[in-house]
Amino acid sequence: MNKRAAEFLSSYQGMIALLALLVVLWFAPSALSAAGLSTLVLALFYAIGGVSFNFLYGSLGIFSLAQPVFIAVGGYTSIFLFNRFGVSPWLSLLIAPVIAAILALPVALVATRIGGGAVLTALVTLIIAEAVTPILIAITPLGGAIGLYAKSPPVITFGDMQFASGLTYVRILAVINVLFIAFWMWWKRSRFGLFTAAIKDSPEAAEAAGIANGRLRLSVFLIAAMLAAPAGVIFAQYNLLTSPDIFLGGTALFQIITIALVGGAARPWGSLVGALLIVYVAQEVSNLSGSNPAAEPVTFAGVFVIMVLIVPRGLSGTWARVVAQRRPDQGGALSAIGGGTARSGSARADSGTVSAADGTVSAAAGTVSAGSETTSVASDQQTDAQVVPGQTRPT
Amino acid sequence: MYFGQLLVLGLLDGAVLSLVATGFTLVLGVGKIANFAHGAFVAVGMYLGYEAYVAWHISPYLTLLPALVFFALIGWAVAEVFEQRGRKVGEVGELLVGLALLLLINGLLELFFTDNPKTLSGVNIGGVGVFGITIQLTQIVAGIFAFVLAGGLHVFIHTSRWGRALRATAEDPTVAGLYGVRVPVAQRAAVTLSIVVAGLAGVMIAPFTVLTPDIGTTFLISAFAVVVLGGIGNTQGAVLAGLFVGVVDSLAAGYLSSYWTTLTPLIIILGYLLIRPGRVTA
Repeated sequence: MNKRAAEFLSSYQGMIALLALLVVLWFAPSALSAAGLSTLVLALFYAIGGVSFNFLYGSLGIFSLAQPVFIAVGGYTSIFLFNRFGVSPWLSLLIAPVIAAILALPVALVATRIGGGAVLTALVTLIIAEAVTPILIAITPLGGAIGLYAKSPPVITFGDMQFASGLTYVRILAVINVLFIAFWMWWKRSRFGLFTAAIKDSPEAAEAAGIANGRLRLSVFLIAAMLAAPAGVIFAQYNLLTSPDIFLGGTALFQIITIALVGGAARPWGSLVGALLIVYVAQEVSNLSGSNPAAEPVTFAGVFVIMVLIVPRGLSGTWARVVAQRRPDQGGALSAIGGGTARSGSARADSGTVSAADGTVSAAAGTVSAGSETTSVASDQQTDAQVVPGQTRPT
Repeated sequence: MYFGQLLVLGLLDGAVLSLVATGFTLVLGVGKIANFAHGAFVAVGMYLGYEAYVAWHISPYLTLLPALVFFALIGWAVAEVFEQRGRKVGEVGELLVGLALLLLINGLLELFFTDNPKTLSGVNIGGVGVFGITIQLTQIVAGIFAFVLAGGLHVFIHTSRWGRALRATAEDPTVAGLYGVRVPVAQRAAVTLSIVVAGLAGVMIAPFTVLTPDIGTTFLISAFAVVVLGGIGNTQGAVLAGLFVGVVDSLAAGYLSSYWTTLTPLIIILGYLLIRPGRVTA
């Protein structure tokens, strides 16, 4: 009986921890002041954006700086539909992800086709994100540079999602956060999670094992966009405003990435921890500096720099490493699926990891094909470039 | 002659863009690093020129020399960090260093100079009438300076021994190393050179540009579009594509609307992907 209880606990410990977290986030904030609540709303909002970034980056290594765009899609969908057609923002929580996915399709086609690794994807998605602001400003029904203010109905009902207290927004955001983390945890254990882990380790080997690489990359990109949209819906309702500035302005564009990376993509809870930490620190720094407007960007930058120099895989990545070192028997494929290997392509050199992940995948897919032998080497062949002969030695 | 005016202004802007992009293409080709902070160093140069003039009444042209030393030192340090992080964390590590620098520079500029746009109106050395409009001499000087420096960089890379070492490193670092090129030095030199060039471009355009802390991102994006158009690692392509993008920007702003200039890089890259789908890198 006792043993069975322990087994139950260990296999569901993630879900139990999540439920506990939800209970804490549901009840504890009622003790907070109004200022504390607004900080928490901000942190939980960023955390959702962070999850959407990390989901994409953690599962496939796609470094998309366009996630804030899909958050903005949520904000605009909600307020536009409410003002024009009186659609409840609660309904927009479901509509916005669909619109985000539709708009993400061309972005995904460009971002996943460009090749050349994380850096080029990052540059192209940055360009796309920067181009959205002028496009939004040009579309007059969307309010131009000022944006759209949510209309105030004569009698505010629950369906209008215009609450006086930040507490309700904290609770909605907490539920969304927990749902998304749970989704990602499920994803990791599902066959899709194994597929993406295999693709991340070695696209060629995964392809040979019968995984539709391109289609899966596209799907993951679209899902990540869908995860981002609800955050925008809630944040726009909280501000009763949606504008290019609050979602895509100068530093806003990079805050979500900072939070996501500091939290780390190795664990689903990474961005939540990162968001709570950074927003709290930024708030403290802002208070100390007499609410200097530059305090926030400087804090975000400072935390980012510290992260790059000390924990480049983020807090959860470092955690994953520590756990992996303490339990060396669970290395190999499991640690690869956990996303602990941030360095893509490392598996190619280490054929053991590839075949292990490959084996898992082909078992899950039901296709038993040992493709790893033939494919793993192909990509590493380098064409012998013509090098300028002679003594080219700078001194 | 509205078209002529736009053409001249576009060419002058384009020359500066050429210079910035030449540095970017160098660091992408030789260093294999996408320095996200590349544009931010243009912003640093601009604020350097601004501060020197406002605080000590030093003309931006006199600031160029100390700026050269300043950016060379900064550049070498940045290259060192890129190297070290790249070795430890791989390509993503370099990406993160670039992003961190970009955020840090944006944040510090905002801290010291606030978010308000600034202009350096004091430096006025007259203007020249072209097609019925007066173009500031500062802008002409900056354009010529940028064009000459970008061209000089191209000649340097294609004729000198150092340039040959850089090109060999760009083609294949391993084999270049076997032929006796000191690859780490070459890569650091490329990063340093690119940052110096970006910083000097910033100092030169300070007199006639509206300064905002996040203007660097705009330069990064335009430079990237230019590099994609001209081919990564191709300095000649960068110069020509820079002039082209400058003119296109200017015409788009003149005939359509000013926000089109933000869209030009995106359209160029999308167009490129339509014509040559697949990889940008050769």
